[in-house]
Amino acid sequence: MRESTAPEAVPVPVKRGRGSYLRQLGSDVAKDWDLYIALIPGIAFLLLFKYAPMYGIIIAFKDFNIFDGLAASPWVGWEHFEKLFSSESFLHVFRNTLVISVYKILFLFPLPIVIAILLNELRNMAFKRTVQTVIYLPHFLSWVIVSGLFLDMLSTNGGIVNKIIVALGGEPIRFFLDNSIFRTVLVSSAGWKETGWNTIIYLAALAGIDPGLYEAARIDGANKWKQIIHITLPGLIPIILLMFILRLGSVLEAGTEQILVMYNPSVYNVADVIGTYVYRIGLGEQNYSFTTAVGVFESVVAFILILSGNALARKFFGRGIW
Amino acid sequence: MKNSPAAKPAKSQAIRSSVGEKLFQAINIVIFVLLGLTTVFPFLNLIAKSFSSEAAVVSGMVTLFPIDFQVGTYKYVASSSMFLNAFMVSVTVTVIGSFLALFMTTLAAYPLSKPRLRGRKFFILMYLFTMLFSGGLIPTYLLIHSLGLIDKLPVLFLPFMISVYNMLIIKSYFESLPEGLEESAKIDGASNMTILVRIVLPLSLPVLATITLFYAVQFWNDYFTSLLYINSSSLKPLQLYLKELFVSSTDTFLRDNVEANLNVSPQSIQAASIMLATLPILLVYPFLQKYFVKGVLIGSVKG
Repeated sequence: MRESTAPEAVPVPVKRGRGSYLRQLGSDVAKDWDLYIALIPGIAFLLLFKYAPMYGIIIAFKDFNIFDGLAASPWVGWEHFEKLFSSESFLHVFRNTLVISVYKILFLFPLPIVIAILLNELRNMAFKRTVQTVIYLPHFLSWVIVSGLFLDMLSTNGGIVNKIIVALGGEPIRFFLDNSIFRTVLVSSAGWKETGWNTIIYLAALAGIDPGLYEAARIDGANKWKQIIHITLPGLIPIILLMFILRLGSVLEAGTEQILVMYNPSVYNVADVIGTYVYRIGLGEQNYSFTTAVGVFESVVAFILILSGNALARKFFGRGIW
Repeated sequence: MKNSPAAKPAKSQAIRSSVGEKLFQAINIVIFVLLGLTTVFPFLNLIAKSFSSEAAVVSGMVTLFPIDFQVGTYKYVASSSMFLNAFMVSVTVTVIGSFLALFMTTLAAYPLSKPRLRGRKFFILMYLFTMLFSGGLIPTYLLIHSLGLIDKLPVLFLPFMISVYNMLIIKSYFESLPEGLEESAKIDGASNMTILVRIVLPLSLPVLATITLFYAVQFWNDYFTSLLYINSSSLKPLQLYLKELFVSSTDTFLRDNVEANLNVSPQSIQAASIMLATLPILLVYPFLQKYFVKGVLIGSVKG
C-alpha cells in the first residue's frame, strides 16, 4: 500500500489546475479500462455480501419485524444495548467467552512458538519434514470431524482415554458432560487441531534469522539455551507481537464453530459463548434485533482491540500490521 | 521450507558437539515422535474401530489394530443413500465453489497488484475493512433470506467467493513477478487481460494451487453455513450429515438401520463415515503440501 502513493503522484505535472488533473485521471483510467472492468465483480461481491450486512446492523436500533422489513420497522434507539448490559444471560455468556478465550491464549498462544523453536533445532531434515507434514494435517480437518474424533476417544463407552484412566485405577470421566472439565476439552481439541499449523509462520521467521549470529554466539561459548534466549527469541519478537495483536482481535470469538459442534445442553453453563448465544437466541427464538445488538457489541470490541493493539505495537516496537 | 539456517550450524556442530547438545537432540527427537503420534493416534484408533466387529468395539477392546476384521461398515456407509447424497452435495459445492472462488479472487487480485492503478489504495482499504469489521450473524442471515437463497444450493458457495486473506496472498504473488514481462508484452500490443491469462497465470501456478486447496478445504469442511441456511435433507452436505450422525448415535436412526442389517456397532459406522469424509483431504494433501507452505509464507511474511 505504501508504494502506491509515489507512482500516483508522478504523472501529474506540478503547476496545473483541477481540470488537467481530471483529464489525467480520465486518461489513466481509459488506458487501463480492462483492469477497472476486472475490479467490478469483486467490488460487487463486497458490497452485496460484506457491506450490505453492515447496513443491516441498523436493526439493532430498531424493533425489527421480518414482515415489515428493514426500513419500516420502528426505531428504538439504544434500547437493545441497554437491555444487553442489564441482561443476566448476556453477562454470563460474556464471562464464558472471556474465560475460554483467555484459556486459549494462555495455553495455545505460546505452544506453536515453543514447537517451532524445537522443530528448527532438528538436524535430520527428512524427519523434520515428516513431522511438519503430520502436525499440519489436523488443520485441514473440519470441526465436525475433530469433534467426532474427540467424542470417540473421550467417550465413557469404550473411549481410549477413559480406558487408560480406568486401567490406572481412576474413575471414568464424562468429558463432554462434566461442567468442570468441558472447557479443558475445548482448549485441548483446539490445540490439537491448530498448534502444528500455527508453527508455519514462526518457522518462516526463524528461517530469516542470520545464521552468522549463531556461529558468533557459539564461538563466544553460548550454549543452546543461551542461543535461544539471546538470538532466537529476540528474532521472533516482531512476529510474535504481530500474531498476538491479530489474536487479540478475536478474543470475543472464542471458537464459536467449535463450541457449536461440541457442546450440549448439560454444559451450556460453562460453554455458551457470545457466538453460540447469538445463534441460539437470534435464530432459534428469532430475537433478531437484540442479538444483532449483541453481535455489534462483539464486532465493535474486536475492532477497537485490533486498532489499539496495532497502535501500541507501533508506539513501542515501531511496527504494526499496517 | 527453507532449511538452510538449520543446515549450516550442523556443519560446525561437528567441531564441538558437547554431551549436552547430543542430549538436547535426542530429547527433541523424542518430543516430536510423541507429538506426531498424538496427531496420528486418533486416526489409527478410528480406522481400527471402523474395521472391527460389533462385539470387539462395544467391549472396548480395539486400540490400534482391528479385531475380528470386517468391511461391512464401509459397505453399509457407502451404500447408505443419505451418506451418498450428502457426499455428492459436498463434492458439487466444493468443485463449483473452488473454481468460482479462484476465478473471482484472481480477477480481484490482479488489478490491485498494479501500483499504477488509480484509486488502488481505496479499493484495497475496502477489502481490508471487511477483515476487521463485519455485519455479524443476524444481518447476514437476513440478507441471505431476502436474497431468497435459504435452502438453495448456491448459498453454500456464493457468500464465499472472495476470501480477503486469499486475495492478498495472490496479489502479493503477482506483485513479486518481474515487471519486464508485462512491459515487453505491452510493446507487442497485448491487453491487460491477455497478459494476465497468457503470462501471469502460467507463472503463478504454485500460488493458485495453494489457494485452490484452501478454498476446497473450506468448502469441503463447512458445516456452519448449511446449519444456518439448509433445511431440506437432499441439500445437506457431508459435514452436517456427520454432525447429525454423532448426535443421533444412540437414536433409533442408527439402531434400526444397523442392527437390522449386520453385526456392526454405531461407533464403527461413525468411524467409517469420518474416514470416508476425510479421505479426499488425505488424498490431495501430500501432493499439495509443498505448494501451500510456500503460499502461506508469501502471504504472511511480507513487510
